[in-house]
Amino acid sequence: MDLISNLSLGFATAASPENLFFCLIGVILGTLIGVLPGIGATATIAMLLPITFQLEPVSSLIMLAGIYYGAQYGGSTTAILINMPGESSSAVTAIDGYQMARKGKAGTALAVAALGSFFAGTVATLLVALFAPPLTTIALKFGAAEYFSLMVLGLVSAIALAHGSILKALAMVVLGLILGLVGTDIYTGAPRFTFGITEYADGLSFVALAVGVFGIAEILRNLEGEQDRTVLGTKLGGLFPSRQDLKRMVAPMLRGTAIGSVLGILPGGGAVLASFASYTVEKRISDHPEEFGQGAIAGVAGPESANNAGAQTSFIPLLTLGIPANPVMALMVGAMIIQGIVPGPNVASEQPELFWGIIASMWIGNLMLVILNLPLIGLWVKLLKVPYHVLFPIIMAFCSIGVYSVNSNVYDLYAVAFFGLMGYALLKLRCEPAPLLLGFVLGPMLEENLRRAMILGRGDPTVFVTRPISLTLLLLTVAVLVVMLLPAIRKKRDEVFVEAD
Amino acid sequence: MKNITIDWTDALAGILFILFGLLFGVQSLGLEIGTAFRMGPGYFPLVLSGILILLGLAIIASAIHDRGSEAIGTLAWRGAFFILPAPIFFGLTVRGLGFVPAIFLTTLIAALASFKMRPHSALLLAAAVTVFATLVFSYGLGLPFRRFGPWLPF
Amino acid sequence: MALTSKLAGLAAGAVLTASAAFAQTYPERQITMVVPFSAGGPTDTVGRLIAERMSADLGQQIIVENVGGAGGTLGAGNVASAEADGYTILLHHIGMATSATLYRNLAYNTTEAFEYVGLVTEVPMTIVARKDFEPADFASLISYVKENADTITMANAGIGAASHLCGMLFMQAVEAPIVTVPYKGTGPAMTELLGGQIDIMCDQTTNTTEQIKGGTIKAYAVTSPARLEIFPDLPTVAEGGLPGMEVSIWHGLYAPKGTPPEVVERLSAALQSALADPGIAEKLAELGTAPSPAADATPAALKAKLEAEIARWKPVIETAGVYAD
Repeated sequence: MDLISNLSLGFATAASPENLFFCLIGVILGTLIGVLPGIGATATIAMLLPITFQLEPVSSLIMLAGIYYGAQYGGSTTAILINMPGESSSAVTAIDGYQMARKGKAGTALAVAALGSFFAGTVATLLVALFAPPLTTIALKFGAAEYFSLMVLGLVSAIALAHGSILKALAMVVLGLILGLVGTDIYTGAPRFTFGITEYADGLSFVALAVGVFGIAEILRNLEGEQDRTVLGTKLGGLFPSRQDLKRMVAPMLRGTAIGSVLGILPGGGAVLASFASYTVEKRISDHPEEFGQGAIAGVAGPESANNAGAQTSFIPLLTLGIPANPVMALMVGAMIIQGIVPGPNVASEQPELFWGIIASMWIGNLMLVILNLPLIGLWVKLLKVPYHVLFPIIMAFCSIGVYSVNSNVYDLYAVAFFGLMGYALLKLRCEPAPLLLGFVLGPMLEENLRRAMILGRGDPTVFVTRPISLTLLLLTVAVLVVMLLPAIRKKRDEVFVEAD
Repeated sequence: MKNITIDWTDALAGILFILFGLLFGVQSLGLEIGTAFRMGPGYFPLVLSGILILLGLAIIASAIHDRGSEAIGTLAWRGAFFILPAPIFFGLTVRGLGFVPAIFLTTLIAALASFKMRPHSALLLAAAVTVFATLVFSYGLGLPFRRFGPWLPF
Repeated sequence: MALTSKLAGLAAGAVLTASAAFAQTYPERQITMVVPFSAGGPTDTVGRLIAERMSADLGQQIIVENVGGAGGTLGAGNVASAEADGYTILLHHIGMATSATLYRNLAYNTTEAFEYVGLVTEVPMTIVARKDFEPADFASLISYVKENADTITMANAGIGAASHLCGMLFMQAVEAPIVTVPYKGTGPAMTELLGGQIDIMCDQTTNTTEQIKGGTIKAYAVTSPARLEIFPDLPTVAEGGLPGMEVSIWHGLYAPKGTPPEVVERLSAALQSALADPGIAEKLAELGTAPSPAADATPAALKAKLEAEIARWKPVIETAGVYAD
């Protein structure tokens, strides 16, 4: 019963009044900063990191974990309320969450997101506690070929993110892939598509792209018919989900949790796929796929659960290998090092208090998030009552600060303006931004792993089918394609398209 | 007899994608292409640009149909004219003027995008945002912004 | 004529007194330390550690600003063009020297654009491999690499990264063109090494120490001139037959050119007092490194180090023919 004693050690550590306090402060600060438009989890943690340096190591990391969950939830809130995602995962939440908000169901969307996240967080925390070491072994089996095949699967699924024309969705994915390649080629050092601007050598900023094509494009669209309509908040509806809503979120939540948990383990960028994958699955198996993109509860519950589960299990590589799986984890490692803890494979045995304390605090953090946020929903929703012409200048101010604060790079701000224009043009041409964003996130990983697999395989393209995991993923891709291109389904899509317009 | 029309929204989208494809494709040609086995920096983007152009053509082709077309609708000219320069202005001035004046003017510019915003309420809003943002980011979080930059005499 | 020279004299006098008065009151407000890499990385960690202690000595807060991008050249460029008043300083690592060759169109002249404050720390590197890699010791690794150069793969964390620099040196030292596989950062490279997807890597102790201790990777040698206290059994590269392959990732503190000498001295003194703090030494030891001795935390030592390193890496990078622009 190692698990029990370990977990009780963890809870004893995490539940000390002091640590509970810092966890709470972390969750609150994370939510409050993360909810500001254009400021995602990474930026929030980077901003709040210095605050934690003065604390004891365990408290500091517990507070950071709290900030992380808070920021993620705060990010989803902004995505739902004003269509301004600060992280790739909340871009998916924005699709249906924002539509729900426009229909006066912002409260429901926020509650569904909170409950889904909490459930997923609970399950994933247990998974981390139970299976961290064996799961790591699986994760290490993923090499370049496997990641490439996984990304291909992700891309093919991306088409489901759009509810309009398949062709346009595909074109948006490809455009996103190309935009993702902007910057220095890691293999040769050659700058690509940077137009001679050194500031873009490390690529375009995701936040700039997301804020531009989602947020600013939406603001401009809302400003079109200013005179004749109030944009949001005419009717706010019930704050909390009805019994029926709750029933409808259960299955997506379970599936999302499973998908997110699995993908989050992969240190090479599986977690970014989690919410996209969940959305695709939900839309595919739904009896009412036409609701997706129009405010489907499953389109919020699934991805939010997947995202939070993935966020949780992405701690596994950090805790068992000492290797950060994403920029947020890299910040956590930095914090550990400053505290004099160098994360490595032995952290669990050398620092059991820290290891289990963090795991326990993940759950406590999630619990606090729910307790804190359910009452806050009323407040967030009230924000929508602020007249739009007052709200959007505030949004512009904060997203300028948010984008700039990540790297103090003014060119990121110029990119925001450019992508705002591009996003608005594409919106007017009825091209949806979500596939573009997925392409943008996957582009570099797709190319990197393709080229790496070819180098490691000595130029033999069969590596993708001779390695079993890679082969399985490719077969899955083919299956998805077949399902998608079946004539019957295609016809249904076209009908949806007509209806939607 | 069916009425063949061109959906200009789709056709324009197709043209836009083709333009993007050409823009990136031409630039890829300037990079080392390499071989499929040892790809150069230009290989993957070149392939993608080609696919994007093909998709653009397909979108144009599918724009010619018998379903009738849809208007693009009104454009938010005034909005675009003020909203888009706001972040650019912030970028140009945050180091020189400093955080406080830069965020004040940025909010003010953005506020002008709406027909509904009266000048004095725009000023009030910009001042409120400036105070809040300065308190939170500069004092509260201690972000490394200079509150007043070297362009100002004090 | 007379008037102009008188005026010029007056102006010069005014500048002198101003600068003396300035130095006496320096620092009057908070100082920004630019770290040209993202928050949470090893360089950022070093920066935040010393910033905290230097603040205590200077009596003014030093805040760290992360200006990442283009191998640290963006942040360095920012500082090069910042006001030379001592309120903007730069913490950079070995990349300061290598980027002078790796980037052929830098926005600043590396040796002309900065005043030197002092060396901060030097981190040694280790040559490591996946744990089931055949060669038993460093000598057999060298012969194995020479024989199997075309089947061995070597990871690095991207062009200009510490692991890339060390890899170039290693290949030139053993005279074998190994297939190199770049990754985006140390994390992914280390993951693939742990998973056995790739054979060897050379990286800073900061990243490898815990993995070596945990037995998840195999270590062959250290690149320091002497053996390390934490790994007494690991030979140095010179012992193993590759003299001249010594390499360390050193960090230096700079100020923009034209910063008054009194201010630079004040900063240098603050740096030395920070490095003398046992707490700092302890934390740096966790990273597998030690603070530079007071004699090295000086402008002269840093200037000499930078110039020597630029000269050393120029031919290495040119031979490899790899550029980051």
